[in-house]
Amino acid sequence: MASAAQIIIDRVNHLYRPPRGREVLALDQVSLEVANREFVALLGPSGCGKSTLLYLIGGFLPVETGAILIDGEKVAGPGPDRGIVFQHFALFPWKTVRGNILYGLERQGMPKEEREKRAMDFIELVGLHGFEDSYPSQLSGGMKQRTAIARTLAFGPDILLMDEPFGALDAQTRALMQSELLRIWQRTPKTVIFVTHDVQEAVYLADRVAVMSARPGRIKTIVDTKFDKNDPDILKAKAFVEKVDEIWHLVREEAIKAQGKRA
Amino acid sequence: MAAIDQAPAPPALRILRSTLWAGARLVSIALLLTAWELVARSGIVTPFQLPALSAVLERIWNDAASGDLAINTSVTLYRAMVGFFIAAVGGVVLGMAMSRSAAARWFFDPIISVGFPMPKIAFLPVVILWLGVFDISKITMIVFDAIFPVVAATVIAIQGVERELIWSARNMGAGQRELLWQIVLPAALPTIMTGLQVALPLSLIVAVVTEMLMGGYGLGGAMMTASRFANSTGVFAGIVEIAVVGYALVKAMALIRRRLLIWHQESQNFPSP
Repeated sequence: MASAAQIIIDRVNHLYRPPRGREVLALDQVSLEVANREFVALLGPSGCGKSTLLYLIGGFLPVETGAILIDGEKVAGPGPDRGIVFQHFALFPWKTVRGNILYGLERQGMPKEEREKRAMDFIELVGLHGFEDSYPSQLSGGMKQRTAIARTLAFGPDILLMDEPFGALDAQTRALMQSELLRIWQRTPKTVIFVTHDVQEAVYLADRVAVMSARPGRIKTIVDTKFDKNDPDILKAKAFVEKVDEIWHLVREEAIKAQGKRA
Repeated sequence: MAAIDQAPAPPALRILRSTLWAGARLVSIALLLTAWELVARSGIVTPFQLPALSAVLERIWNDAASGDLAINTSVTLYRAMVGFFIAAVGGVVLGMAMSRSAAARWFFDPIISVGFPMPKIAFLPVVILWLGVFDISKITMIVFDAIFPVVAATVIAIQGVERELIWSARNMGAGQRELLWQIVLPAALPTIMTGLQVALPLSLIVAVVTEMLMGGYGLGGAMMTASRFANSTGVFAGIVEIAVVGYALVKAMALIRRRLLIWHQESQNFPSP
């Protein structure tokens, strides 16, 4: 494996063991390589294990068969080299915006002045200036997710793991956050793995889209989706629309299979 | 709904409105007290059966002037609060242990399940035999009663902490000890506080009941003494005093809750998204 891949996922299986009932094969021989500073979307019907794969990369769930390598090292637990952003934000509700962002910096033992400055820089970056002393319960959904993104970016991970980060937001906020994420990504380039079930979102944001099959989750195809992200009319461009349509059909087949299995 | 409620009102009007509301909430109590006074004076009942409110207030005033009220109230409060604090600390510690260790859960879970609904006052004779009739046995009874809601609330609270919250903290480098103190406990605090808010009036109730059964000083003891001397004004004075003390305790606890949970949804003025 002499490739330049930063993340190597090598034939990973995952068994989901519910507290009651039979175990379910959630991931089946999943292999994927992601290059440094690449933006990859994991796309698939709900229940296909795409979030599970993200949690395995994050080190939150143990890799039992197969291996996940980050820069050549096996993942053995969570680490600050990989930062995660959750769909429901997972902000600490008893801390202010600033306090949430500071937490990771405190854990790293960064000196007080430096971390205060860094926190404010990232509050600025995500456009939350003036809200640094607000509690999460006082913020809108979009502002909560901006806080969560700032919190994760602030501790400086090389890899950003995003678990349907805009899934809980309304359509307008969602569109806004997508272009904001691209803007931030272009300013602080990182490797991003982005889980979503929104085809257009995946094609718009990612360099490559990995389409996953219905349970048990496999990587069905990987589609190249490099478009000019700075083109304001990209969403209406013919090539873009065709790409969305192509991938949409792939996902649809899997969604139907998933429905069939459940029925 | 929110849009209708949130018509902006000038500050003066708002203050007037909230004062009126606070006053309106007391109307039912005022009516009850007035009815008490009227019934007592109407001659339907003898003063022995129901002394007039005015006579009871006079008795409370005299108790306050002689210092008896202060002594009895502080003795009862002392027992209730010591018992409450032991139950609070012990309950949270036990609840945490049960959440973290399978062995502790295996051992204590059945005990909590059987003990919670059980009338703990049934142990009073045993506690008297073992510990006598003084403060220690009363406080033991209070702890015994008040610890159950605290343990149950702590276990439920810790179980309810979102997995994502823990993962986020671990992602940012929190170790086991930091997770517990900096993430799990603050996240569990609203539910733990609810358990404490149940335990506090329970502590006062058990304090008064044990005083009644064991005698001695305290509001409950003073009531039993008055009852033995057929002093119905004294008995009713005790009821009013306990009601006031209990109300003050509950209000103080609610205030502490609002202070501690300033960040919580319930403390915000506007509705949740």
